[in-house]
Amino acid sequence: MIPALALAVGVVLGLLVQPSVPVALQPYLPIAVVAALDAVFGGVRALLDGIFDDRVFVVSFVSNALVAAVMVFAGDQLGVGGQLSTAVIVVLGIRIFGNLAAIRRHLFRA
Amino acid sequence: MSEASRRSERPDAHVRSGGVQSAGVDASFLDITTITVDPAYVQAAARRAVGAAPGRGVGSTIALVVVVAMVGLLLVVAARQTLAGAPSAGRARQALADEARRRTARSDEMQVRAAALRDEVDAARDERLRATSAGRALAERLDRLELAVGSVVVRGPGVQVTLRDAPDVPGEEDLAGEGTVRDRDLQEVVNALWAAGAEAIAVNGQRLSALTAIREAGEAVLVDYRPISPPYVISAVGDPDAVEPAFVDSPTAAAFRTLADLYGVGFSVRRRDAMTLPAAGTRLRYARVPA
Repeated sequence: MIPALALAVGVVLGLLVQPSVPVALQPYLPIAVVAALDAVFGGVRALLDGIFDDRVFVVSFVSNALVAAVMVFAGDQLGVGGQLSTAVIVVLGIRIFGNLAAIRRHLFRA
Repeated sequence: MSEASRRSERPDAHVRSGGVQSAGVDASFLDITTITVDPAYVQAAARRAVGAAPGRGVGSTIALVVVVAMVGLLLVVAARQTLAGAPSAGRARQALADEARRRTARSDEMQVRAAALRDEVDAARDERLRATSAGRALAERLDRLELAVGSVVVRGPGVQVTLRDAPDVPGEEDLAGEGTVRDRDLQEVVNALWAAGAEAIAVNGQRLSALTAIREAGEAVLVDYRPISPPYVISAVGDPDAVEPAFVDSPTAAAFRTLADLYGVGFSVRRRDAMTLPAAGTRLRYARVPA
């Protein structure tokens, strides 16, 4: 309940404030979205498994986002930013798929 | 022991795709792809089960709320960013087109202003020259020369030739551009009019001087480097009784009548009693009268 409200607050905030992303940070936006989705689906999956934990969720979200950003930043400095972005998205994408599959099994028993 | 053989001893971890059983295993790349639940959740659950970890505190709930709100914010920002970025190519093109239109309008304005200033200079010069008899002779000679090079406005009878692109036939694409009037068509008509005895010619209000080029850039016809668009009206001042029959009988006119019949290109010749043609902006930067 509280997380749902918090999500709504975040969405409304985004719609009202309409923050603009600085050009320097724009390459990180898709990475941040994928990292956030990974944390969210991981949390939902844990919730359905009955082992959800606030602290773990918060830490996993923050560390996911940070590690992804640092990897892309380091990749940019090394000239392989695009490839590392792809690597981050592939790995997190696989986890999102796995977690979604687990959620699906929980919800539909199939 | 290799990673693969270690895995094969523990097939259940694979099949169950990282259930609670695989808690605490080392996280290798293969684990990431197969163990999708964050082991931290499992560990936290285990700690709670033995009572080693405190339950949900107010702080962690606040942190959760903040993070979930951030997720929502992030999704909205990303969505807005994506939506804003999609038509940016179209916007860039629109901006360029607007810029081009603005510059053309400005150029038109400046040409009008240049013409007005030129008239002013001419009037002032004439006034000074007419003060003496030698000056008057010079002024007459100047007038004749100016008329000849097209640097003054002229007025007189003549003929007007109008060229139009063939109308689009529905369902039939004019790939070869056979129905489109091109720069060389205008060049031929203009040359035929000169040959027929025209004394001054303007195409869509652009006066032709000895330095004026009629050419094409992309799909646009340029006269004196200014784009003009169809219909193309070529106004030629001259004796209508001489110019009109001579032009109508010319091979060029015959060719255009054929084009009109075959492809539907618009071609018409009309006599005009009085036409006013603007001055051409002739300006020489390097050519000088030899001393």
